[in-house]
Amino acid sequence: MDSAKKYVIIALLVMVAGCGGMMDDLSPSGSDKRPAVIAGTTGPLVGQNAPDFTLTDTLGGSVTLSTSITTPGVRGAVLYFTMWCPICDTHMSNMLTYILPNYPDVRFFLVDYVSGSVAEAANAQLVNGYWGSGFTVLADVNQSVLNLYQATMGSTVVIDRTGVVRMNEDYKDGTRLQTVLAGLP
Amino acid sequence: MLIAGKFCAALILGAALIFPLSARAGSCCGGGSGTALLLPSYYTSMIDMSVDVEKYNGLWNTRGEYIAQPGYHLWQYRLNLGLAQRLSPRWQTSIMVPYVWNYNGYPNSASRSNGIGDTTVNVWYEAVDDKSAWKIRSLKDMVPSVTIGASLLVPTGISPYDDVTSSFDITGRGFYRLDGNILISKTVNPWTTALSLAYGTYIERSVNREYGKYVEPYQKQLGDRASASLSLGYIYYIGTGGDKLTGTGSFSYLREADTTYNGVREPNSGFRKESFGASLAYASTDHDWSARLSWNHAVRQDGWGDNFPTTDIYTVGVSYGFR
Repeated sequence: MDSAKKYVIIALLVMVAGCGGMMDDLSPSGSDKRPAVIAGTTGPLVGQNAPDFTLTDTLGGSVTLSTSITTPGVRGAVLYFTMWCPICDTHMSNMLTYILPNYPDVRFFLVDYVSGSVAEAANAQLVNGYWGSGFTVLADVNQSVLNLYQATMGSTVVIDRTGVVRMNEDYKDGTRLQTVLAGLP
Repeated sequence: MLIAGKFCAALILGAALIFPLSARAGSCCGGGSGTALLLPSYYTSMIDMSVDVEKYNGLWNTRGEYIAQPGYHLWQYRLNLGLAQRLSPRWQTSIMVPYVWNYNGYPNSASRSNGIGDTTVNVWYEAVDDKSAWKIRSLKDMVPSVTIGASLLVPTGISPYDDVTSSFDITGRGFYRLDGNILISKTVNPWTTALSLAYGTYIERSVNREYGKYVEPYQKQLGDRASASLSLGYIYYIGTGGDKLTGTGSFSYLREADTTYNGVREPNSGFRKESFGASLAYASTDHDWSARLSWNHAVRQDGWGDNFPTTDIYTVGVSYGFR
């Protein structure tokens, strides 16, 4: 059995050594590595033109991004990508309490990318307590918008009324979102 | 969840595994942390292997309301390998490394991913021995064993800050955490009880990438973590050879404070979880081999947690000690 210890040690070392990208967390970098963006191109990065899309909301209406942000009186839109998880609830609750009331001229969309139908998205909105909350919930049944914006759980995208992406990152504490919204033209 | 003391309780349970509460269940929210392995007094080393199966049953929201999510099928499987080594009669160290498999099934999609989880390295000091496990003759026989220790969680897992594109691929939280632990246990055959307390603080780190996208760099620190667990076990001796079967029930409490970004607290980002556990452990006559089954259950009702997944964790494990 003494050799068993050696095998366990070897197995532990192999497991630890075999994980790629570990150094990113073991020795985190604070360098700004955001890529340069060419203005006028379409894509999910900050400074690019936002990819347009049309999705169905949980009331059955059709929502087109370009139409929403060019509606008179609207300064832009926020897309928050939710899978109705605890972290998502924290973010959505924070946004609902501290941000939505301050920006009545911004459209706030929750993009549900895990429900299989509009009805399921509506049910998720209801059971999670966001029915009638001020958010418009969009059913991204095929995850097409998720992919367009290279988003995942908690991704928060701000698009101004000219269609330019102003922010595309994790929600965090909402401070960054408030700053970006305050700077919308 | 399996909790035991350092001496008799550790023997009974084969290898004491302290606080195997996953950080976050399922890949939707990270997770995959290891556990602490504790060596009985008269062993020089021990190897341990266990498999956790964690099933997602919904969540508690920020208001503590339980929300069932019947269409979601999220599972996390963890293979935990551990090694404990005695350094001196009262000092020991151990390491636990999990390998994590995630399965995420949603109404419109499903995904699988796997990778190493976050590694835990521990140092323990056996401060007080439980010298009377058989009979209480005087007050001093009531003195429990006390073990104190420190744990370092090393972010070897796949975190949101690695080169991944989806939250479904996460197996770790991406932060170092330093914990102080104390374990108090007392056995008066056939009963055994243990109290575990731990307090940990995460090390603030720089973040310049989120799910593969480079972002404006910022500082992030997860909130301090406190946990406690109280267990009561009954030892049943099998035959006359000394083999033991021990059943244990436990209650665990876990709380993590709010996260800060550039020093600013994010309201309601902390979480709380209360859960119950049951375990069955078998130790052979020579006590070198032991095996265990355990179940940790989060109550699917309002008020038993905040902002946290509600899960069941099933564990089967085996360990071997070297004298």
